[in-house]
Amino acid sequence: MILTVTLNPTLDKFYWVDHLPLSLERVEEEILIRAKKSATSAGGKGINVSVFLACMGVDTVAMGFLAGHTGQIILRDVLARGATANFVWIEGENRTNVTIIERGKEYHPVKIHEQGPSIPPQAVDMFLRKYRRMLRRAEYVVLGGALPPGIPADFYRELVRLANEAGVRAVVHAGLTALREAILAKPYFIKPDVREEAEVGGLPARTEEEIIQAGKHAVQQGVEICLISHHVTGDILVTPQGVWDLEARVPLSKYKNLVGADDALVAGVLYRLVEGDSVLDAVRFGMAAAIASAEIEPKLCLVKSFIEREMHEVEVHRKEGG
Amino acid sequence: MKAHEIMRRDLSSVEVDTPIAEVIYLMEQSGLASLPVVDEEGVLVGIISERDLIRAALPGYLEMLHSASFLPSLNQLSQRLKEMASEPVSKYMHSDVISVRPEDEDLQIADTLIRNELKQLPVVDEEGHLVGVIRRIDLLYRLV
Repeated sequence: MILTVTLNPTLDKFYWVDHLPLSLERVEEEILIRAKKSATSAGGKGINVSVFLACMGVDTVAMGFLAGHTGQIILRDVLARGATANFVWIEGENRTNVTIIERGKEYHPVKIHEQGPSIPPQAVDMFLRKYRRMLRRAEYVVLGGALPPGIPADFYRELVRLANEAGVRAVVHAGLTALREAILAKPYFIKPDVREEAEVGGLPARTEEEIIQAGKHAVQQGVEICLISHHVTGDILVTPQGVWDLEARVPLSKYKNLVGADDALVAGVLYRLVEGDSVLDAVRFGMAAAIASAEIEPKLCLVKSFIEREMHEVEVHRKEGG
Repeated sequence: MKAHEIMRRDLSSVEVDTPIAEVIYLMEQSGLASLPVVDEEGVLVGIISERDLIRAALPGYLEMLHSASFLPSLNQLSQRLKEMASEPVSKYMHSDVISVRPEDEDLQIADTLIRNELKQLPVVDEEGHLVGVIRRIDLLYRLV
């Protein structure tokens, strides 16, 4: 079973518009943008990973905090997609993240992200009790996304420590302080995105050389798989065995919706690792899952044959070792 | 149709030592009228419902409601619930839980729900771990 943790779940709301005026050229009373289409789905990195895995037939349990009407909608969607849910309910309301996608500029969406509810200490205790219990049945645990208000900065470090103690491989799909802290507890797999923040585990990661050095540093600290996204179509894989550059030969104009693509990447890698693939083959499948997801309007591509069709678009170059 | 095809894969539950105040809080936040109770291994050991809580707070109160034409003061119920707030759920839960297995057939599930006048049934695996819940409405929805 693959356990996923989403401490700050979201209701993802997508609007597709023909034109998005971001500045006023003349004085108007208001800006009215009519959406051609809209879609809503449960989200947050861990939840997206669970939804993908459930649709691939993998036993998965999604954990985290739910609140209010939005929480009910998120729960309903998670269950409808075939994932098992084991959330802690708190007061307040889960966040709604809005993404506006303009025709012709699909690779450049406008996003509005809410902060999410603050997590009270007693809810954290309830979560930790459930988490320890679920670890006994898990093979991997994915810790996804930023930390919500009320959660201590070193929380992922503690969750990784508990996972290691239980013999469960921890995957950290987050960045900045949450990742920096988590690395200290030696997670199995990390997936930073240096497009969002140009650092990995506290080291700068702006140039390719810096990214590789930061990845190697994480591996020296005990990480087994460090997969760093540095471009819409490019990732660098660093493991104790070597360094690889992975590039998807897909023009930006083919992309319809980039939200969730990095979650499809992580989920795709895990799916194939569970199936027994090598790390490199699993990463190739993960990248294909990300490309296939980005090429369609729904957040995630959940059709295996479509993903497999994209695998030939992924070029793998060995840079060191291997 | 089998239980695992009908069940809600929702593991919302409480542990045996969860205080009653937390149980009520969780029921209110989640909108669930009853909650499975599990041990530290996740094995189903009981069920606690709103009805159990009211009955525990005021024995005979539910029966009285059936015959009374107006509600008496709720002060007594409120006072007793406050006294129970810090007590563990294990003190008030039903331990003789009726459950089904993931491979059980819909006919058997319907029979169990109807015969026992249950609104929902927990589903457990061969080791007794809670793996889902089947509500009456889930079955009706699938059958219609």
